[in-house]
Amino acid sequence: MKALLFKEIKLAMHPTTYLFMVIGAMLMIPSYPYYVAFVYTCLGIFFIFLSARENKDIFFTASLPVRKSDVVKSRIITVAIVELLQLAIGIPFAIIGIRINPNAAGNMVGIEANMAFFGLVLIMYALFNAIFLPLFYKTAVNVGIPLVFAGIAVTMYVVAVELAVQMIPFFKTHLDTTAPAMAKYQFPILIAGMLIFALALWLTFRKSAANFEKVDL
Amino acid sequence: MEILSVQNLNKHYPKLDLKNVSFNLEQGYIMGFIGRNGAGKTTTIKSIMRLVHPDSGMVTVLGKDFAAEEFSCKQQIGLVLGQVSYYPTKKISVIADVTRRFYPEWDTNAFVSYLKRFDLDPDKTVKELSDGMRVKFALALALSHNARLLILDEPTSGLDPVSRDDLLELFQELIENSERSILFSTQITSDLEKCADFITYIKKGEIIASTSKDDLVNSYKIVKGTRVQLTETLLPRLIGCKKNDFGFTALMRTDDLPTVDGLEVAPADLESIMIHIEKE
Repeated sequence: MKALLFKEIKLAMHPTTYLFMVIGAMLMIPSYPYYVAFVYTCLGIFFIFLSARENKDIFFTASLPVRKSDVVKSRIITVAIVELLQLAIGIPFAIIGIRINPNAAGNMVGIEANMAFFGLVLIMYALFNAIFLPLFYKTAVNVGIPLVFAGIAVTMYVVAVELAVQMIPFFKTHLDTTAPAMAKYQFPILIAGMLIFALALWLTFRKSAANFEKVDL
Repeated sequence: MEILSVQNLNKHYPKLDLKNVSFNLEQGYIMGFIGRNGAGKTTTIKSIMRLVHPDSGMVTVLGKDFAAEEFSCKQQIGLVLGQVSYYPTKKISVIADVTRRFYPEWDTNAFVSYLKRFDLDPDKTVKELSDGMRVKFALALALSHNARLLILDEPTSGLDPVSRDDLLELFQELIENSERSILFSTQITSDLEKCADFITYIKKGEIIASTSKDDLVNSYKIVKGTRVQLTETLLPRLIGCKKNDFGFTALMRTDDLPTVDGLEVAPADLESIMIHIEKE
């Protein structure tokens, strides 16, 4: 597994994925729909699969002494690392963003970059992974169709949670704020996000590996 | 000792069926795997490596069941599918650095000496290599993890005659100490004349011969005759009969020769055997 992860980083990783990982800097923009910063990472992950396909990664990997399920596992771990690193890199930018925001009311066009937001982003990643990865491993070739389906799901999710936060008064006052007093309401969402992300990742791996096992390369 | 044994592989595809594909390869020999495009060569190789799932059948490598001990079997095999075209923009040294981590038996000194021998510059990227060099790079990787069985899918296709000859000589050298064996698929029969000990011939998913090259060549003869000689009784014994204005040319089993008289008989080579058999 270590050798496979080394291969992922050394060969399969697309340069733009690194660039998108630091795009958490967008959390410093005074008013912005912050989900957008993290949607870029979904694109970065898509690029990993696209460039791996164009570089015939499957045939390189197939000639190595590895199990098919390990091929899937190493890629999914890589995806999770990219997503979590991007979130981690986003945290200091979120803190700086709040300090330097010139608007007294905070983010005018969406949820504040607070703990609840990070939890909701984790659920967004869980959704993206759960749709994109098993669909991709059905063929191990098609990357476009899985991106379309995962993209639609992510868009609908983001619109739905953003609307809920803005329209439902309780959410608006408790979640769309950086007031320290509200942190106790936001923390459970972060924890829920982490749990959902982890559980979904495990199920995504199981389904993807089962799909890939059936593929004739 | 048997290094590779393939028994009754079956695989159904809409356009091709592998039917009871069976053959054995002994240690220290080169086996050529021939057949037309689409006859099932690559599918057979992929089924051996379990990259596609055969519907039934068994593969053993050095006596071990491939399905049960896939990991240790794969350690013994160097697989080259077509020309190396993966990661064309990466350097040889980077790909080797990734590859070596998968093999406990990797020998860095051996790799360096193979690079030197094959004139490969580790700082070159894959796309900078010629087709012949790419095959050599793949071989260098396989040999450095001490693969005992090299399975090469059309390694010589697209190479110029000189590079091809060079590669075939290398194949012979690699089996010299009788430890390694090579199975390589090709449609270029002259490659096999030069270096194969055994030939396995696949036609439409079925193995129609798997024997030593000499036995295969000797078991057929080319016969020529006039139109008058082409009788109803002779016709069923001819394989891939080609008629022209003066008469006919066909392939015939050597065993059938005593039953006919007055035909011009010439030794067959692999190419004519293949052409006539495929004409049937």
